[in-house]
Amino acid sequence: MEVHVASQELTREHHVLRCIQCGRCTSGCPVSTNSSLNVRRLLNEILLQPDLILSPEATELWQCTTCMTCTQRCPKGIKPLDVIIEIRGQLIESGRIQPGLRDALESTFLHGNPWGKPREKRSDWAAGLDVKEASGAEDLDLVYYVGCTIAYDPRLQKLAQDMVKALDAAGIKYGILGNEESCCGNEVRRIGELGLFEELTENNVKLFRERGAGRLMTTSPHCYNVFKNEYTDFTGEVMHYSQVIRDLLAAGKLKLSKELGWKVTYHDPCFLGKQNGIFDEPREVLGFIPGVELVEFDRCRERSLCCEGGGGRMWTEDVAGQERLAEIRVRDAVGMGAEVLVTACPFCLLTLEDAVKTTGDEEKIRVMDLIEVVAAAL
Amino acid sequence: MDIIVCVKQVPVTAEAEVMVDSSGRDIKKDRLVFDVNEADNYAVEEALQLTEKFGGTITLVNLGPESADKTLRSLLAKGTHEAVRLTDEHFDESDAYVTARILAAALKSLSYDLVLTGCYSSDLGYSQVGAALAELLGIPHATMVIGLEVLDGKIKVERELEGGTHERLEIDLPALLTIQTGINEPRYASILGLRKAMKKPIKVLTLTDLGLAEGEVGRDGSKVFLDTLSVPPKGEGAQILEGGPDEVSQKLVDIFREKGVV
Amino acid sequence: MLAEHRMGELRDVTREMLTRGRQLAEETGAQLVTGLLGHQVEQFAEDLKKWAHQVVLIEDEKLANFNADAYQRVLASLLGDRTPDVTLIGHTSYGMDLAPALAVEMDLPLVTDCLDLRLEDGKPIALRQVYNGKLNAEMSFAGTPCLVMMRQGAIAVGTGDLDGQVARMDSPLTEEIAYRKFLEYVEAAVGDVDITQADVLISVGRGIREEKNMPLVEDLAQAMGGVLSCSRPVTDSGWLPSDRQVGQSGRTVKPKLYVAVGISGAFQHLAGMTGSETIVAVNKDPNAPIFSVADYGIVGDLFQVIPALTERIKETRGS
Repeated sequence: MEVHVASQELTREHHVLRCIQCGRCTSGCPVSTNSSLNVRRLLNEILLQPDLILSPEATELWQCTTCMTCTQRCPKGIKPLDVIIEIRGQLIESGRIQPGLRDALESTFLHGNPWGKPREKRSDWAAGLDVKEASGAEDLDLVYYVGCTIAYDPRLQKLAQDMVKALDAAGIKYGILGNEESCCGNEVRRIGELGLFEELTENNVKLFRERGAGRLMTTSPHCYNVFKNEYTDFTGEVMHYSQVIRDLLAAGKLKLSKELGWKVTYHDPCFLGKQNGIFDEPREVLGFIPGVELVEFDRCRERSLCCEGGGGRMWTEDVAGQERLAEIRVRDAVGMGAEVLVTACPFCLLTLEDAVKTTGDEEKIRVMDLIEVVAAAL
Repeated sequence: MDIIVCVKQVPVTAEAEVMVDSSGRDIKKDRLVFDVNEADNYAVEEALQLTEKFGGTITLVNLGPESADKTLRSLLAKGTHEAVRLTDEHFDESDAYVTARILAAALKSLSYDLVLTGCYSSDLGYSQVGAALAELLGIPHATMVIGLEVLDGKIKVERELEGGTHERLEIDLPALLTIQTGINEPRYASILGLRKAMKKPIKVLTLTDLGLAEGEVGRDGSKVFLDTLSVPPKGEGAQILEGGPDEVSQKLVDIFREKGVV
Repeated sequence: MLAEHRMGELRDVTREMLTRGRQLAEETGAQLVTGLLGHQVEQFAEDLKKWAHQVVLIEDEKLANFNADAYQRVLASLLGDRTPDVTLIGHTSYGMDLAPALAVEMDLPLVTDCLDLRLEDGKPIALRQVYNGKLNAEMSFAGTPCLVMMRQGAIAVGTGDLDGQVARMDSPLTEEIAYRKFLEYVEAAVGDVDITQADVLISVGRGIREEKNMPLVEDLAQAMGGVLSCSRPVTDSGWLPSDRQVGQSGRTVKPKLYVAVGISGAFQHLAGMTGSETIVAVNKDPNAPIFSVADYGIVGDLFQVIPALTERIKETRGS
């Protein structure tokens, strides 16, 4: 069954008439090289076809990682990313979306996380650790918002465990939200499920208020991004952990004593760097770690190469035969002689680790989150 | 083509811990999340695809408590047209035959070409209500349907047998089919769609509305009774290998060597 | 009990029910009678009389292929005639099509999908599983006569050493069932690989989460020189063709080694692989039913264990 896109409305709402077809969007789009997504052509189709018909699969639209490069590069102030997300929303309303996305959304609605895991297991990562829940009555330095993927993925639970180790070492008074913590909704919003996103934000803001979360710290840049920029009803402070750890190191409250002796490179996550301008803090953190030598990617900071983990890509079907950008990243890192590829985003971590396996570079390089490196030096 | 789909709301237990409650005859449900029974979801999708092709209305019928409205609305949001909920305290602890009796009482006043339901429910899993309901309605039936094709006044169905074999039958309409999972790919119901569906009325019918007597339903009307629930004894079970991934994989390799497979 | 057969063969569940039926009959001094319906099925009767005290043979051209409605009419007549205290029917695809409707027609209590049936003070008590096999349920009947459907593979088959009688009964069918016509059987297509012939099966279930993770188990299968098979959710999602499915509605396999990766062990799956020589299970959930049939179990994250195992195998094989 086809889906009809109301292109005239889209044109009006997103000022598509301004488009001069310069192609800066497509030339900056990371998946333009390895998928059939062509942003410039999409805008052209919207302009020229008052009733744009898409097949329900519309695979190329689901390849978009929502990295936001197109929006940042457009010289006419158009936000092509917003256009893509709105069309996604229409596909969502038609109900015909890939089973992986359907299951992730249904799970988020039922269980508060996209992974199909029961809510009652959300704080299992903290078993045996002295981690307390914020009740709203204490005076805390911050509330640590763990995040769905970190809470449930066995590989990533270590990030939360390392995080609390570091916070304890720095004497920070923190609390977590426990099993009531629910998905931040960043990916949900980018997948185009506006209704679900509204449900999530409403419930989360209420929870933050109840638990006294005036200062929120996140593990993931995705959570950081949506809390900081799209939770209009939340008046508290939002920080990414790299900012908090940097401040603690700079103030001497957190001391790292172990010499690691590693040559590392740092991959800027799209949602931390490109979209929110947090480039220096993770690097400063690395600078505080004894015996760590940082070599930079050519495509670093604003030009960082998207790992293809965002925008719902964790749940969409891979298209056969496409080169994974994460593999390019891993090969470049190996080529620079880096032993450790450091990042500060759980999705980047998972996609890069997968790429290390598929490129067969397990002996040459490993992927670590910034907090894991910090904890290793405690 | 007017279709009735009988749906059940069940607790989601695949990954959750299931514990027996104080009565010993039911499970603790306070920590569980509820959703439409998986096989019924496939039945709803099949109905949607049929009406997209042939026109007609889809009526959902559910035997359940008020909280089942959540499931009914999510299915209305997918594009089904009407929903009827059969609720009464006297319906509690009805066995599968009585469940079919209650559903039959509701369906008697409706007109339909086809009745669909899931072949199995993930809670108690009797696989019984569908065929029993067909018998009570006096219409032909087929269970474990994995494929279907509508012909003129008839329906061709493919049924799943064991060992990968299927059988094909031709059945006169109106008929009842119980649907097996995997027959299609169910669509998604968006939250905006769910909100719109909140405005749709759900007809609620009670014991008296259905013209049934107290003695015909619930435990009183049942002929089989669930007496006790218990955790299955572990028995011998597997020898659990301890250790991290590297240790256990080494232990496995040793076992494989010993068995001569490596 | 009802003997089930298809395309010239008696189904295994028949002998399982005969075994248990005989035990129950001997407990109470009752008779075990088996109903055999079909067309040109005399040879089954010769076999079945070793397993039951009496075989009631009802032959009719109209019973040449299984038709739930035809069977229902014949059984209603037979049960009405003989009024057995307990009637056993296999919980199979045929059984599910037949027994619930028969129970309604004859107003008999019916419990489906039983692992076992026992007698307590002469009253039948049925044992079943509920909630994805996580709990056992015991069910009782309002009285006898009653109908019980037995799960395939739940009872161990005993020996057929009775000396039963074969009695013929006329078919009560007067005409073909017009509203339900059998058309044909469709055999499962055997693809490039026949999992029933493999020595080593690496079987993957819902735990693999996404299609993109399949290479994980493909690598292991390749490293071990084994074949990839799966449980139902994987074929429902289309990640593997249906001829790779192990289970009641798929293939029954008896390999030397069966490695169940991310498979919880729903009974429909277990039914297809418990005959394997060695079963190894990897699952995050220590309560997963698969561990009750496995010889060796690893409670852990398959995303860590499987790659480690693949590595070890490769090292061991020196590849």
